[in-house]
Amino acid sequence: MSVLVLGEGPIARHLRATVVSDVAAAVVVTEVDGARGVGPIEELDDATIDAVFEQPMQKVIAGLQQAHAAGVERIVVIVPTIGMSGGDRHAVHAALAEAARITVKSAARQWGPDGITVNAVALAPEEFGVDPAVSGPVAIAPRAMRGTVDASNTVNWLCSGAAAHVTGQTVVCDGGLWM
Amino acid sequence: MDVSRLDGRVAVVTGAGQGVGEGIARRLASEACLVVVAARRAETGEPVAESIRDHGGRAECIVTDVADGDSVQACVDETVRRFGRLDIMVHNAFMGGIPHKLENARIDKHWMKMSRTGVWASLFCARSAMPHLVESSRRPRGTGGGRLILITSPSGVEGSANIPLYSSAKAAQRAIAKSLAREWGPHGVTVNCIGPVAGSPALLTAFERDPALRDAIEARTPLGRVGDITGDVGSVALFLASDDSAYVTGQTIICDGGSFLGL
Repeated sequence: MSVLVLGEGPIARHLRATVVSDVAAAVVVTEVDGARGVGPIEELDDATIDAVFEQPMQKVIAGLQQAHAAGVERIVVIVPTIGMSGGDRHAVHAALAEAARITVKSAARQWGPDGITVNAVALAPEEFGVDPAVSGPVAIAPRAMRGTVDASNTVNWLCSGAAAHVTGQTVVCDGGLWM
Repeated sequence: MDVSRLDGRVAVVTGAGQGVGEGIARRLASEACLVVVAARRAETGEPVAESIRDHGGRAECIVTDVADGDSVQACVDETVRRFGRLDIMVHNAFMGGIPHKLENARIDKHWMKMSRTGVWASLFCARSAMPHLVESSRRPRGTGGGRLILITSPSGVEGSANIPLYSSAKAAQRAIAKSLAREWGPHGVTVNCIGPVAGSPALLTAFERDPALRDAIEARTPLGRVGDITGDVGSVALFLASDDSAYVTGQTIICDGGSFLGL
């Protein structure tokens, strides 16, 4: 069956076209504006915090609520790894990413007794338009694997009946960059 | 060990009118740090500052609303105007934390206070303190060293079944610390977090209402007791504020007696 994919932008569009599941499932894509809010903290203004952190985070909360209201058994939230690694001049993006990622754990704890799994899939920052040349290295070593990373199969699995006992986890799908 | 590890330095501690913030303020002051007790209400901040002075320390209260960036800026400006420098910024103040079900959570009731006082305020504190922390790190070793310390929570790492959006805000603070550690490292300014579980007034009140709660917490805590806001949490803050931690940045120190071991 098709999967409810909440979000806009290329990641959501790609997953909407590729992800299917044998159980009711939803995907919430964290909307990171990689082009806005980049800069030293002393130049950060309130409007940028609102646009880059507050509004997207409220969309993540609303997306989780919409998925829950839809009665799905599987929920996957897509986040950038920059929340775990931090990013030079990207404090606001990182705050959004990690707030979204840990909300997944809380949701997994609350909704687990109802048979709902909630997991995160973390992608490399550049997938969200964050320039790694500015944000700095995510890891101390280069990416382990070559080739294009496509998270669809990972998301498919987490959305499936086969992943029934996996919840509250973050699966990093970036070809072995962030470990 | 030098008994006055912070002599000559100036710290701002937000939310220092009670609880963990008060404990941190007292511990820093015990090492000769001049502490600005930044509290939303003078009724709580002034008595703490007065008590620190009564015990031989140096402290002043500046009324500050951390949810308001202009108020945070005014606090920092006033601190530097009156005391000449700012070396250590501790953001502890936090409001919200009402238990809720995520599916029914309301942005206005369950999220905004925590977002403003936790996430936005961390950015406000960083933004306002930054130039002074950099200046502190330019001083000769032993006389300065810029420090930003954010108070988070173990639930910012592991999530929370009772207060899910609390853990979201606390997680954001950890990511801010990691990012600023990268951003400010070249200036010699360190940025770290503390995740405490300690006997704050809120927790002690909860113990009075439900004595079994203390037993439950102590039973799951390897060290078998609830942390002390000054001796336990304040001492972690002292380490992170002092020269001893000059090569520690971007980290979270969980201070909970060993309950959470998941880092």
